Amino acid sequence: MKEHSKDYTIDEMMTVLMAREVRNDDVMIVGVATPMVWVAFTLAKVTHAPDAIYHYIMGNTFVLEPRQVSLLYHEMNTARAYRFQNSVECTLESLPSDKLTTIEFFRPAQIDQYGNTNNICIGDWNRPKIRLPGAAGILDFSMFYSRGSFLYTPRHDKRTFIPTEKLDFISGVGFPNGKASICGGSGPQCVITNLAYLDFEEKSKRMRVDSIHPGIEIEELKESTDFELLFTKNLKETEPPTVKEIRLLREKVDPLNIRQLEVLSGKEREELLDEIIQKEMAMKNRFPKPLG
Amino acid sequence: MRSSKLMSLKDAISTYIQDKDLIGFGGLSFWRKPISVCREIIRQSKKKLSICTFVGGIEVDMLIAGGCVSEVRSCFVGMEIFGMAPNYRRAVESGVIKISEESEATIALGLRASYLKVPFMPLKGIIGTDMPKVRDDIKQIEDPLGSGTQVMAVPKIDLDVAIIHVPYADEFGNANIAGAVWMDADMAKTAKNTIIICEKLVETEDIRYLPGKAQLPMQTTDAVVKIPFGAHPTSCYPFYTFDPLHIQEYLKTDFEDYKEKYIINKTPAQYLEEAGGIQTILNILL
Repeated sequence: MKEHSKDYTIDEMMTVLMAREVRNDDVMIVGVATPMVWVAFTLAKVTHAPDAIYHYIMGNTFVLEPRQVSLLYHEMNTARAYRFQNSVECTLESLPSDKLTTIEFFRPAQIDQYGNTNNICIGDWNRPKIRLPGAAGILDFSMFYSRGSFLYTPRHDKRTFIPTEKLDFISGVGFPNGKASICGGSGPQCVITNLAYLDFEEKSKRMRVDSIHPGIEIEELKESTDFELLFTKNLKETEPPTVKEIRLLREKVDPLNIRQLEVLSGKEREELLDEIIQKEMAMKNRFPKPLG
Repeated sequence: MRSSKLMSLKDAISTYIQDKDLIGFGGLSFWRKPISVCREIIRQSKKKLSICTFVGGIEVDMLIAGGCVSEVRSCFVGMEIFGMAPNYRRAVESGVIKISEESEATIALGLRASYLKVPFMPLKGIIGTDMPKVRDDIKQIEDPLGSGTQVMAVPKIDLDVAIIHVPYADEFGNANIAGAVWMDADMAKTAKNTIIICEKLVETEDIRYLPGKAQLPMQTTDAVVKIPFGAHPTSCYPFYTFDPLHIQEYLKTDFEDYKEKYIINKTPAQYLEEAGGIQTILNILL
């Protein structure tokens, strides 16, 4: 019998939902500055997907062993404990292969009703109001993966969820005008947010609410989205994390709360970052702890 | 005949880097970036450089703040978990520098096109994004061989100089990268001149026993400079990790003050003293 947790935070809810997307034969892509994804993949490894393989951009390596998530010492795992190592060219050649069932989570700054995303700039590209860091491999792979692309954001609000005409730049391809990309990928599969789990309706390819997180009202969800959301017929409440998932997250996978850096902002985030750095610098053994 | 390519940092930069050059920086994000070279470029007041790097971070930000850069070619410039790169952001938003919008593949394939001596490489990504709208040198074309498939033609990237920080090299320029290679071998192959910065100088024989052996062979190397901790505050596996405290200080400090404290008239030893000396070294050693 599954026992559900009654005491969990929103970053834990999102991380668990992301972990549940992983299948046992997946290659899990871990990019830059997305610790929540790394934590989710590691949780999947120690629960239902022990054979899934990490692909770390930090090492450009395929890694089997799950280890405790670390901020300062990830190279001890990603660069060292590899099964085989690729140059970037090889990565570009192997990841689009249909033989690899690749799973990658993208975190968009803006997303429209068809799952097209922007990580380049806010405002006009020539003189942007905000220049964002960039879209890196999203430009190359979002339209490519046979298993589709996976989206998440802890900021479900009207600045992030906007209609196509307000999207400042398309740097990730969803379902352009409701159609599949000509590059042959399966397109976006889901959007995991702090309010809900969303997918895309089969025919119109428009974003649809599949389940709402416990405690969130439909009205709040609508008011946080700047386009009309579709709702699935049997709208349900999102299944919360189990007691076991929460225990693994807090005690084994991410005891330093590194995943929360993606959710917090301002002073709170700075304080957590300082705390993580101090704790990690105090470690004598700088190899992240092997799990399982 | 094999000849030693050992040089001082000052000579390597003044010999091989000219104003307006397109310079490729090895490493990725906060890992194995040649920051000692960035400081020397700022000291020598190089101007109007174009910077090409796979995933950029503090090296791009610092060179922009130092007034050395007119164009950036990268698919991501940020400070990893520490947030956005402030000087990069400001320079792009105010139009002071030019951006060539890149993806991972446009850089990887552009470098490959360069060393294969073809004008472009075909790519199946990017189609459907707005990138072609801001890159008039990228074109969607139909397979010229007749399959009907649409592909993107991605132009070659001809680097003037590649600068690669590595843990091990010999004096002839054979270099071993213990961790991830990323674009570094491609950059070294295609650049007109390649400068290797190493942590540790070893004999040629020793390189044969290192995993991966000489990923950068001596034929592609023009200068070798030894600077222990030369990637600081970024990491150099297997020796040290990145220095989070220094990166935080960089983000909090006005660049003119930072330059005064860490860059102007500072030898590598004085730099390390200023950056916290032995305590910092103990903090970051793996």
